[in-house]
Amino acid sequence: MTAILQTQKLRVEYRSREMRQGIKVALLGLDLEVRAGEVFGFLGPNGAGKTTTMNVLLGFVPPTSGAASLFGIDVRQPIARQRIGYLPELTYYYKFLTAEELLRFYAKIFGLARGETDKRIAELLKLVELEHAAKRPIKSYSKGMQQRVGLAQALINNPDLLILDEPTSGLDPLGRMKVREIIQRLKHDGKTVFFSSHELGEVETVCDRVAIIHQGELKAIGGVHEITGKHASLEKAFLEIIGFNSSTAP
Amino acid sequence: MKNIFAVAGVVIKELYRRKDFYVLFIITVLICLVMASVNIFNDPKIARYLKEICLLLVWISSLVIAITTTARQIPAERENRTLLPLLAKPLTRPQLIFGKFFGCWFACGLALLCFYIFFGALAAAREHQWPLLDYFQAAVMHWFMLGIVVAMTLLGSLVFAAPSSNSTICFVIIGGILFVGRHLDQVATSMHEPLRAIVNALYFTIPHLEFYDLRDLIIHNWPLIEWKYIVLALLYATAYIFAFLLGACLVFRRKPVN
Amino acid sequence: MNSPRIIFLLLLALLVFCFGLAAQLSPQFQSWRGSRSGGDIFNVVLGDSRRMFAQSFYVKADAYYHSGYYPTMFDNKEAFQTQHMAEDTGAVNSNNHGDEESFLGPKRNWIDAFGRHFFPDRHTHLDEGGPTDDLSGSENVREILPWLKLSADLDPDNPQTYTVTAYWLRERMHKVAEADVFLHEGLRNNPDSYDILFELGRLYDESYHDTARARNVWEEAVRKWMKLDADAQSDNKLVFEQITTHLAQLEENAGNLPRAIDWLHAAQKVSLTPDVLQKRIDDIQKKMAALIPVAPAKLY
Repeated sequence: MTAILQTQKLRVEYRSREMRQGIKVALLGLDLEVRAGEVFGFLGPNGAGKTTTMNVLLGFVPPTSGAASLFGIDVRQPIARQRIGYLPELTYYYKFLTAEELLRFYAKIFGLARGETDKRIAELLKLVELEHAAKRPIKSYSKGMQQRVGLAQALINNPDLLILDEPTSGLDPLGRMKVREIIQRLKHDGKTVFFSSHELGEVETVCDRVAIIHQGELKAIGGVHEITGKHASLEKAFLEIIGFNSSTAP
Repeated sequence: MKNIFAVAGVVIKELYRRKDFYVLFIITVLICLVMASVNIFNDPKIARYLKEICLLLVWISSLVIAITTTARQIPAERENRTLLPLLAKPLTRPQLIFGKFFGCWFACGLALLCFYIFFGALAAAREHQWPLLDYFQAAVMHWFMLGIVVAMTLLGSLVFAAPSSNSTICFVIIGGILFVGRHLDQVATSMHEPLRAIVNALYFTIPHLEFYDLRDLIIHNWPLIEWKYIVLALLYATAYIFAFLLGACLVFRRKPVN
Repeated sequence: MNSPRIIFLLLLALLVFCFGLAAQLSPQFQSWRGSRSGGDIFNVVLGDSRRMFAQSFYVKADAYYHSGYYPTMFDNKEAFQTQHMAEDTGAVNSNNHGDEESFLGPKRNWIDAFGRHFFPDRHTHLDEGGPTDDLSGSENVREILPWLKLSADLDPDNPQTYTVTAYWLRERMHKVAEADVFLHEGLRNNPDSYDILFELGRLYDESYHDTARARNVWEEAVRKWMKLDADAQSDNKLVFEQITTHLAQLEENAGNLPRAIDWLHAAQKVSLTPDVLQKRIDDIQKKMAALIPVAPAKLY
């Protein structure tokens, strides 16, 4: 299978805002490869470098050294983002717009034709189960509905690669289940999904492969069963890989 | 261009769906109607004071709309994290800046249109005449002045993180230019070096927004300004608009978005 | 305490207490010197600082008289030392020296030169037809009236605002009744103002042709002026000269020639041009030569 997301020796440093901390290394030579059609889980504790990796992939943060590409195109080129969809964590969409208007706005940026836009919006609203609220302003939406609008906007261009940053964060169990269902449906449609999450059980359920990152370094990469290995669950494997010792934990 | 206009469209929707414009418009209308109802020596033909009050309120309202609308654009995108999905699409940062600019500017233009139609109706009710070309000159000049204000505020919103501090700084700068900009060179003559050189340099650097204030001319029914001077003033405004927008693009180019 | 009945009773008791206290304090508050409650809205909102705004609106009226052509604090204000409208009414001495055309001075640089296309840059007067200079706009002076009225509302103790406003109302707008009402309002606020009495006398004399009432108010104006201390009299000689010369004219027209001469003698004492007045006295004395002499009466 072809790699549609690739990073090579990716290193990101930034000047710390805190006094006298100097340069902080967020990523330390990250090599990653996500293949077409797979659901890839990107795991790591808080501050491990997951969001920084995504920010580099989306062109938000320039890498200090190394390279990152999407579909073989350098991520610094806007065209690299033509075939991706991105759902950031905890986003509050324009509350004065309706879901339909929001999707139409993003469709315009992708240059979709009017007829195609109408069709796509109807499909997506059905997929995320928001047809009934399509003409209501987003400010009246619950958190789960807002997250589903976010998912719909990430899919507006029918992307080949979806980058989801903690898509179930802050959702109730029902909301989480709905998002999980949507990811599985996308997988069924042959889409590539690259997502970060803290919900290891969820990752275990939907992912084909996972990568575990800790303190900016890739600690493990492989199939879910490969990583779990002799451990009882992915959670236990994850804790061991990042060097967490339950007996010394506070 | 389509990306720029897509972003601009959202800004325009924001303006007409928020209450700011309506509140300012209603306040302007109410104050003007109250002032118009005042009996001044039983003379219903007195018009200029009413034109002056109306235009003063229009100017204040337009500056409030322009500055507050623009100042919150980028910070709100950051705070609500909508900047992330936006820039994750094939939209460049300069396109976003230009889109925000055109959105705010066109939104101000729409607001100005409403205000000037009301002003025209109010003046016509007293003076029984419609000097449309004079009003057109005043409105276009006003609109281009707001273009400079919007571009300046947009640049400010990238430099100062908090919209409130940016708005306050912009109000002070714009008020300062409107009140003393024309006289800075005269002020400089009473100063010692190097302050004199600095104030003189400032005089030649700042955008002279007072060119665009044609209120006295339309209040007192002065003849039209020659169109060549209007065109030159509009070119002058365009140059400053682009200078501020390029500055904004430069600041935004390497700025972390998260 | 949790019972709604107790809370209700407590509220009631508090209300009774508040109303009682208000009733007790109200008379004291009304009689307190610093109280703003008795004044109009400007007094309530601005207090004594309203006088500062009154002067600004007075200047605004003068700027309107020039269709917006007016110096700012940065321009050469020498040319506009005296408000033109006040000068035209004869209420004040003119300090303008004919260089009003050039308060902008020569063009200083390209920004100044270019900027002059966008604001009024010619000296015109509203009663001369305004910026179009077609000499048909006497009634255009109506446009200065709102600012003068506002100025009077903000500072009712400034007699000049009343006299200037009354002049324009009467002379150019032919609104004698409105001028009369406004002057009386000014007189209520400034009972010792000889300026307002003088203007009122002119209104009675020139508009109502009621010489008896004109004489009364002018004589009253002279009495008020005489009550001034020496310094104030010295500063206000012009108005005394105007009152006395008007009285002289009135008496001359009425045939009371010796009395007219007496008023002119009084005017001569303060006048900058006593020779001119002496010539008038001589003329009247020539007229008197043909008439039976009358014993002089006490003037004031």
